[in-house]
Amino acid sequence: MVETLISALVAGLLVGGLYAVVAIGLSLIFGIIRVINFAHGSLLMASMYAGFWLWRLCGIDPYLSIVIVVPLAFIGGYGVQHFLIHPMFQRERTYVVEPLGVLLLMAGLDMALANGALLLFKSDFRAVTVPYGAAAIHLGFLTIPITRLILLVISMLLALGLSWLLSRTELGNGIRAVGQNREAAALCGLNVYHTYALTFGLGCAVTGFGGCAMLPFYFVDPSMGLPLAIKSFIIVVLGGLGSIPGALVGGFIIGVVESVGGQFVPATSASIFSLIMFLFIVFFRPKGLMGVLEA
Amino acid sequence: MERRSISFNWIVAAILLAIAVIIPFVLEKHPYYVHIFILVFLFGYLSTAWGLVGQSGQLSFGHAVFVGLGGYTSTILFMDYAITPWIGMLAGVIVASVFGIIIGYPTLRLRGPYFALATLAFGLILQTYVVNTQELGPIKLRGAMGLLLPLKNGGDAPAVFQFATKTPYYFIALAMMICAVLLSYLLNRTRIGFYWTAIRSDQDAAESLGINAGKYRLLAFLLSCALTALGGTLWAQYFHYINAERGMALSLSIEIVLVGVVGGWQTISGPMIGAMLIIPISELLRAELGGGFAGLHALIYGLILMGVILWLPRGLNPLVMSGLKCLGDRLWSTNPAVNTPGIVGGSGKVEGR
Repeated sequence: MVETLISALVAGLLVGGLYAVVAIGLSLIFGIIRVINFAHGSLLMASMYAGFWLWRLCGIDPYLSIVIVVPLAFIGGYGVQHFLIHPMFQRERTYVVEPLGVLLLMAGLDMALANGALLLFKSDFRAVTVPYGAAAIHLGFLTIPITRLILLVISMLLALGLSWLLSRTELGNGIRAVGQNREAAALCGLNVYHTYALTFGLGCAVTGFGGCAMLPFYFVDPSMGLPLAIKSFIIVVLGGLGSIPGALVGGFIIGVVESVGGQFVPATSASIFSLIMFLFIVFFRPKGLMGVLEA
Repeated sequence: MERRSISFNWIVAAILLAIAVIIPFVLEKHPYYVHIFILVFLFGYLSTAWGLVGQSGQLSFGHAVFVGLGGYTSTILFMDYAITPWIGMLAGVIVASVFGIIIGYPTLRLRGPYFALATLAFGLILQTYVVNTQELGPIKLRGAMGLLLPLKNGGDAPAVFQFATKTPYYFIALAMMICAVLLSYLLNRTRIGFYWTAIRSDQDAAESLGINAGKYRLLAFLLSCALTALGGTLWAQYFHYINAERGMALSLSIEIVLVGVVGGWQTISGPMIGAMLIIPISELLRAELGGGFAGLHALIYGLILMGVILWLPRGLNPLVMSGLKCLGDRLWSTNPAVNTPGIVGGSGKVEGR
């Protein structure tokens, strides 16, 4: 029993690393631009397809393809902000307070991306096969797949790196300033829209990084995006809107709850736990565990 | 002048209604077209109900769940407890409202995206649960199989909401859509409607005047849930089948959103107009393309949604309304009896905002 629980705990932490990697980028984008990036999962899917085709057509190892995919994801994210969201902002700031229009726009983008991928790549599940794919560390009764462990480490490094970037660099200061008050930041001479676009690009780049690191053990298919995005929304609310460490911690919590809960009830019922947790958090502590934004 | 323009809108509405009443008799030999019209009315109804939430300044991404809850409640009551869906649809309203309170009460008090996220998550999770659950205590959910409505008297039993032809469904759907639009129209002329507009336009200002934003948003959401659940019962009775894969799916929620947004988000007649445009197009696409291009249909939906949000943020409603007004001015100015300087060129306030 104890062994099962410990294995479930470890499995939950490993899955939590995966959730965290997706949620970190989302949290950054939400915290700064206040846009709910509905298309986040589909952008992850797009970068994973990029990694997959690089492996399939050019034989590039998924971990090496990071070098190519991350800049692409950055450019993609910059473009989304610049060409789609920016016009909305310019229009909305005059007469709409809540950017619900942007939410709908991103929902449209998500549909277009997911179904464009379905049209191009069919609904097949694609997987990368690498020689080290099955390698694992054995610790007594525990079996830890190396690729998942790497992702866990990557998620922590990304969260650390992003936090460092935000708090210790000129770019990070600018990004945080724009996130806190865009009018004041603009008055200080910051190019607000360029900073927004950089932030969106950065969020997508982080996600693309995670996507490549997921490739060795995670299947890619066109409809993978939205369920992961929704889980990330829950994680981001749980951890605190806009908090990078919160997204990491929230990811681990959700992963562990699902995995340990799955030992007692069927996995589908366990997913209801995450919703209940979401409602509880919203009810009692809307700014989340480590939130920086007031609700 | 005001009076003239409004009465013109009523004339247009009366003409449209007359056409709508004749249609099922003209198209008696073509049930497929009647079917498309029923879908137009059904989606017009669902989107109008969805739009009530939008009028209070929030966005629901999980309305399909309430379609599913309404349909499942009435159908399970009919299958396992032999209660007629006419009563079952009221039970569906209650079930949907209870879930509405659970979701709405914590989230609608807050600013920001909590409500939209909660409806989204709730939709996906409840759907997954129902698809994978055979029985919940005494309730037989029947999992992925869905609920196949048992036909009484070969499907010709008005007492249990089953009709042999499409015509009764047509009129029920039409009546429901008209009722929903009228309800939305009338509510907009009451205190509640003004509160919604105030909350939507500027929540701080509204609250400083003593309006409890959370309360009135919850009211809008519950009303919307209840109406949507009624639509769910109609759905189940019309198709003789409801399942969670379709009846609670995010894709259905998005379709409802799309119809509302294309027609005109936060307008009264917008959802109706959106349904008249989107549903026939989508049916035609489905019929023409068949299963050959999986994804193309939804890809087009996504692009339409993006395009409308970027270039027509208020949807087609203002276009249609100004078109109607032009037509009205044209017709009136050719009528010498009314063609007096005081009246020509008058621009009345058009229906919907």
